Amino acid sequence: MTVQFKPAETFRDMFNFKKSPEDILRFPFPFPEDEYMYSVNIEPHVKGGPTAAFQAAFDIDEHYIAECRERERVLKEDPKRCQVLPHMATAEWDTLELIMESLASDYPEHFSLSKAGDVWTWVNRPLGIHQTFTFGKAETLPYGPFEYITRQVQGDFTLQDQRDDMLYVDGGMVTTQADWSFEFNIGMSFMEWHGPVPVAHEAGVFERALKYLMRLQYGQPVRRLNWTMTINPRLDTSPENYPVWGPDRTTVTPENVGDKVHLRVELQTLFRLPRSNAILFGIRCYLAPLNDLVKVPKWRRRLHRVLRGLRPELAEYKGMTRYRQTAVDYLAALDDGAPTSKGIAPEIDKLEG
Amino acid sequence: MSDQGIKSKPTYGKIAGDKAARYQLLLVEGAEIPAEVLAEGVDPSAFETWTVAHASALPAAPMMDEAPGTVRPFRSASHMFSALEERLDRETMGLRFYAVGAEPFLWDAFNIASAAGLSQQEMQFAHVGPKARRIYCVHCRTLMDGVTTSIVTCTGCGAPLFVRDHFSKRLASYMGVQVDAEAPGEVPAAEELYK
Amino acid sequence: MNAGTLSVRVREITELAPTLKRFSFEPAHGGEFPTAPAGGHVMLTLRDGDKVMKNAYSLVSAPGQRARYEIIVRKVSQSRGGSAFLHSKVAPGDVLDMAMPGSLFSLASTAKKHLLIGGGIGITPMLSFLAELKSRGGRCEMHQLSSLDEAPVFERLLAPFSDDAEIAIHTGGRAAFDLAGLLARQPLGTHVYVCGPHSLMDAVVSTAAALGWPKGKVHKESFGAAAGGLPFKAILKRSGIEVEVKENETLLEAIEAAGVAASCLCRGGACGECATAVVDGELDHRDDFLSDEEKAAGKLVMLCVSRARGPRLVLDL
Repeated sequence: MTVQFKPAETFRDMFNFKKSPEDILRFPFPFPEDEYMYSVNIEPHVKGGPTAAFQAAFDIDEHYIAECRERERVLKEDPKRCQVLPHMATAEWDTLELIMESLASDYPEHFSLSKAGDVWTWVNRPLGIHQTFTFGKAETLPYGPFEYITRQVQGDFTLQDQRDDMLYVDGGMVTTQADWSFEFNIGMSFMEWHGPVPVAHEAGVFERALKYLMRLQYGQPVRRLNWTMTINPRLDTSPENYPVWGPDRTTVTPENVGDKVHLRVELQTLFRLPRSNAILFGIRCYLAPLNDLVKVPKWRRRLHRVLRGLRPELAEYKGMTRYRQTAVDYLAALDDGAPTSKGIAPEIDKLEG
Repeated sequence: MSDQGIKSKPTYGKIAGDKAARYQLLLVEGAEIPAEVLAEGVDPSAFETWTVAHASALPAAPMMDEAPGTVRPFRSASHMFSALEERLDRETMGLRFYAVGAEPFLWDAFNIASAAGLSQQEMQFAHVGPKARRIYCVHCRTLMDGVTTSIVTCTGCGAPLFVRDHFSKRLASYMGVQVDAEAPGEVPAAEELYK
Repeated sequence: MNAGTLSVRVREITELAPTLKRFSFEPAHGGEFPTAPAGGHVMLTLRDGDKVMKNAYSLVSAPGQRARYEIIVRKVSQSRGGSAFLHSKVAPGDVLDMAMPGSLFSLASTAKKHLLIGGGIGITPMLSFLAELKSRGGRCEMHQLSSLDEAPVFERLLAPFSDDAEIAIHTGGRAAFDLAGLLARQPLGTHVYVCGPHSLMDAVVSTAAALGWPKGKVHKESFGAAAGGLPFKAILKRSGIEVEVKENETLLEAIEAAGVAASCLCRGGACGECATAVVDGELDHRDDFLSDEEKAAGKLVMLCVSRARGPRLVLDL
């Protein structure tokens, strides 16, 4: 089925954002069980999976055009949301190659790439881009190669350099982040940039994840899901703009909770890059209001139980303290107490209601 | 409150030296090496030492011997750092680089050494002196030195900032985040924590 | 998205010296190869009658060269047979299985300068590095140790890079090669890479350490610890079946092949999902999930990476 893009959507101001029934069913719901705890929930990033969001190396959905425009706006306001340290120049070209080839192969109706030696021609039909450039020559593109291609994909990206038995976040395109500052974190080690995350350090999660990622092999990408909650369908919840979006958290009432409170899921993917040996980390953000999620019986039961049982320090870290109870009360009324099956698949083909 | 449990907050040890080093250079943010920063049995005469006199009347640093045991004073930390880049540019592999001082000094030194090609395996840092923090306002990017309290007003954008333990070595700074962003005006009393 | 195996056709075989041959492969089913990792290697599956050999070789072709993958193979008298097989029995047009290229030897992105040292056939990953550094414009110095008679071969292989790198070939033996002098005069921020006989790699590692080089700036070629190990028998008590775990497969793969669904996620020893109770048998733990105490207790095994230390393992599965 051909996806119907919605270029008029906005993720700020009036929040003109609406998910189609297909878009709700393809949501990568992040809870395989009725309770949530940090774990190294990493698995091979292979095609297939419990919803349609797992069908491509880089997932494109109906919000594609609108999200690329939102990215453009954020970069205009704050160009430092995209930075790459000079030693990552090779990783920039690796990224461009991987993303262009993946998009052209996964979505031939939208993207194509042709090559005559080092002279490449890239066509992006949804965004109306037709670009001929020389691979390896940054001056033949309107932006650096990493910025050029990540302006044309949904989700944030960071580049990790591996050295001295550690990963360092030495580049990134970060405009749709869940409250972490790229300008502050660039250059940090894996342990440093995860420094503020509670509980998981004690559980040894980051040490195990780091060892695993340092062994990540070329051609064998992996993925995991992470989540938080956001008020309104706002993509840019950066610390930079916290004074702009922070007050939203005080606006949740029993009447508007289903529309306002969004589950925010990150489909995180990790790819080892060939020339540079760097790791490309994709952080693809999906938003869904509670009102959409409760149309899936399994999801509404499970979301209620997860939020009800969430450890207070995690709720605090995810910024949910002010509205968590309102959301739990809303969901409690919709939870019939029936058992749920393991896994995240919606287990229905058509939405209720 | 004093430990926010954030792992990016740097921890420091003592200068232990390195027996495998071909050459060792020590930078001190002060006129003398404080005895307590050296690990047991470390003899500072094994290091070439650069110190900060905090005095303008020093003669412009003359060309001095670059040798273990020599001590070369500079007028200020900035004066020292301007000489450091040139010095590291001439160095060869096997150098060990140590710095002793307050936090902003240490990480400024770290950034110069990193740019010159040194890795963390070739550096050691010891923290002495005031615990006052350099704060980076995440909203407007203003840097503020000498912050000693849990809450500080940003000199750039006026936001009351909570001083987090999240530390960026690149910026040699802790992060300041507006404390009343969700409910303007709800600002807790500042506590004197970093002295 | 997934790795899998490449089917490759031998396009050309070039004899470089009496014991050195270059093999050039093309994709058997057309198209292009994946971009090769700089310094990467491939594993070839070689079938000589009933005998199956898996040999790893560094790619010498440039990462961006995707029409061909090239390796150089030395025929060694006491080889396990794979190299001798390639030299004597493989001909142009033959189709072989090749695992996706892997990367365990890579260029440091923060290096101010790259110092490459090859000994004999250890030149192979350096050729990939030189090609990559040439396209990056990275500062580079290359020293190749060679016997007198092979020096012209290496000279020809290195010639394409002589404009971009300082290159020296040393034929006077190890004693005449001033390794300590070379390492001592390198500017700050240099990384050294070595591939060749173990004695040469050990000499570089120990000389560099004695001169104060940090570990992180000394790199030696390795194809990594083999994922496999000695074969053993796994007895799945609850399922009531026995599984033979071959030397080149994991316990998890063998169990899956036997049709038993074992719970798993990361397949790399990190997530803990495949932890399985052990009834009997000694363990070779290779995971990052279990604590040292849990490993010592021997009550749990991570199926995806760990193995039996002895001939049999009894699992509660």
